[in-house]
Amino acid sequence: MARANLLERLHTIQDTYGYIPENEINKLSDQFDLPRSKVYGTIKFYSMFYTEPTGKYMVRVCDSLSCHLNDSEGLVTAVKNYLGIADGETTEDKKFTLEVVECLGHCGEGPVMMVNDQIYTYLNENRAIQILKDCM
Amino acid sequence: MATALIDGQQVDFESGETILEAAEKVQIKIPTLCHAEDLSIYGGCRICVVEIEGERLLKPACATKISEGMKIKTHSPKVREVRRNIFELIVASHDISCRLNCLTCSRNQSCELREIAADIGANQTRFDPIDKGYDDDRSSVSIVREPNKCITCGRCIRKCEEVQGVGIFTMANRGPATVLTTFGDKGMGNVECTNCGQCIHACPTGALHEVYHYDRVWDMLKDEDKFVVVQTAPAVRVALAELFESKPGTIVTGQMVAGLKRLGFDRVFDTNFAADLTIMEEGTELIGRIEDGGPFPMFTSCSPGWIKYIEHFYPEYLENLSSCKSPQQMFGAVAKSYYAQQHGIDKEDMVVVSVMPCTAKKFESGRGEMDQDVDFVLTTRELGRMVKEAGIDLVNLAEEDYDPMMGESTGAGSIFGSSGGVMEAALRTAYELITEEELEELDFEPVRGAEGIKEAEVEIKGMTVKTAVASGLSNVGQLLEKIKNGEEYHFVEMMACPGGCIGGGGQPIPTNQETVEERMKAIYEIDAGKKKRKSHQNKEVQQLYEDYLGAPNSHLAHELLHTNYIKREI
Ligand code: SF4
Ligand code: SF4
Ligand code: SF4
Ligand code: FES
Ligand code: FES
Repeated sequence: MARANLLERLHTIQDTYGYIPENEINKLSDQFDLPRSKVYGTIKFYSMFYTEPTGKYMVRVCDSLSCHLNDSEGLVTAVKNYLGIADGETTEDKKFTLEVVECLGHCGEGPVMMVNDQIYTYLNENRAIQILKDCM
Repeated sequence: MATALIDGQQVDFESGETILEAAEKVQIKIPTLCHAEDLSIYGGCRICVVEIEGERLLKPACATKISEGMKIKTHSPKVREVRRNIFELIVASHDISCRLNCLTCSRNQSCELREIAADIGANQTRFDPIDKGYDDDRSSVSIVREPNKCITCGRCIRKCEEVQGVGIFTMANRGPATVLTTFGDKGMGNVECTNCGQCIHACPTGALHEVYHYDRVWDMLKDEDKFVVVQTAPAVRVALAELFESKPGTIVTGQMVAGLKRLGFDRVFDTNFAADLTIMEEGTELIGRIEDGGPFPMFTSCSPGWIKYIEHFYPEYLENLSSCKSPQQMFGAVAKSYYAQQHGIDKEDMVVVSVMPCTAKKFESGRGEMDQDVDFVLTTRELGRMVKEAGIDLVNLAEEDYDPMMGESTGAGSIFGSSGGVMEAALRTAYELITEEELEELDFEPVRGAEGIKEAEVEIKGMTVKTAVASGLSNVGQLLEKIKNGEEYHFVEMMACPGGCIGGGGQPIPTNQETVEERMKAIYEIDAGKKKRKSHQNKEVQQLYEDYLGAPNSHLAHELLHTNYIKREI
């Protein structure tokens, strides 16, 4: 099977399970005749793939240039502290996964945070934490 | 002329000579820093301190005159420790920013970064080293990975994938966060790594090296209650000298034996003896399979990298493997039974150390099936390091012989170290055992040489025995695919490392095509120079059967010298 299809397959698996389970990596490595380390490396190269189950709420906070100028750094710190996890981690209760990301496309309205498909703009720390509280 | 004892060696000296000068005459090197031959004696750095019996304080060898009857220890554990402390103080007193620890790095003799720095005339380092803060990967019993020394050059990735056909490493993440890792970040010991060590040879830095056993071997040598025996693999004697600035392919068998005796091993034995023994067992097994009609092909089983490879990737062929343990393990089993019994040594007090060209042997010795018959495995590089630490000028030592009972070997045992050697040794013996006629042409040229896959057909008593030989795991994989697709052989030799053990993961750096070819020539030179070139001619092996084992493949032989394998997951 062509390697280009690998990404497509990874997307499908990610959408089905919310992450890429180990046994799926083993299957892909068989089908694509690649060492499983290579499949793993591909997954790790792209930030949209996960090798661990993610939380119910995917929290993405932008830390690209424009948002950074609007103190997204403070926002990132506040969210991290509130959830008690670092970038890329999932809370123990499997509710939240945090991702610090590049540009979410609302650069004029920063700082910006996304929870699942919902965009929140012009945030400050208190509002962000209130949004997360409302998810509970 | 007066005499004194330095490290147990008697030395004659003229009055006025220093301990340092006298030590050189008996091939003992004492490290020096502030001393230089054409300058007056200073005695300031004290890196050259030695122990003199009856004196409370250590004395600097460069500044102390030797006198009649002195008993001097130049490299006792105490001296070595004090020297290290002194050295640390010297280094600490300098403004050396040694964040990466070049001084203690596994590659301090062979670092390519340092080579390049010299080649390009680098004369400043303006940036502070970045502390990446990764943990070392110590999950493997054979290999350590130190990611903080990794420059993410990817050479190990390609070596493992392209030359070994395994593919353990990958890059993860992007940009400055890029890091070399294994599947699922599990570590080398928790994935399908074969422990072959070829990635070490690929790495330009100290990011990959073997799991060291030498410090524990020092402890054993110090322990007077232990009876410490050592065995040396066939490929070590043709490579060890490279660590002492000699040409690749220099043969130092006798010097190595002498060096091991000076290090304090109670007995110095030869893995080549066990290789001859392996041929008796494996040859008999092959003849048995020929009589029983299979299962074919029979695969050799002396390369633990190959064994782990087949256990992971081709478990459906496990019954094709010879049930023979490797020579290293046969040696251990025989030493701890036969030798121990004959000499009234308690098995528990015996320590078996191997010197191997191989990192996978460390894993093999710890396999549950092996019963702790081999306690420690040193690579060729580790032995070199111990010899240096003891101040022994190895290549200039007078040659000595292996100890009797497990020290004799034939030419057949010697060539085990090269790809094709096990095949050739087995054919020499199988031919004579089957036909009961003398084999006239001993050299099986088609299975010799550095090619990755070799094939040969041999006529034995009207039967055409089809054989194949592969070295380097991607060649091994190719040959297995051929077999899967219906190609038929009777006997197949597989070795994990390109060129066989002479190219093993524990050999001196650099190990490349050139050095492997030189070492190979030396191996066949040893064989050609032997009066006896067939394993069944080995008198000590015959004696072992007579006194202890009975016959090849006997019940006791099976118990001690044979093993079984397990299917491993990927
Ligand atoms: S690999 Fe790094 S630490 Fe080791 S000798 Fe080279 S520069 Fe120094
Ligand atoms: S030891 Fe061999 S199999 Fe394991 S990572 Fe290194 S090259 Fe690959
Ligand atoms: S070869 Fe060595 S330096 Fe290069 S990527 Fe591998 S571990 Fe890192
Ligand atoms: S920079 Fe934050 S949304 Fe574009
Ligand atoms: S050597 Fe050419 S890019 Fe690395």
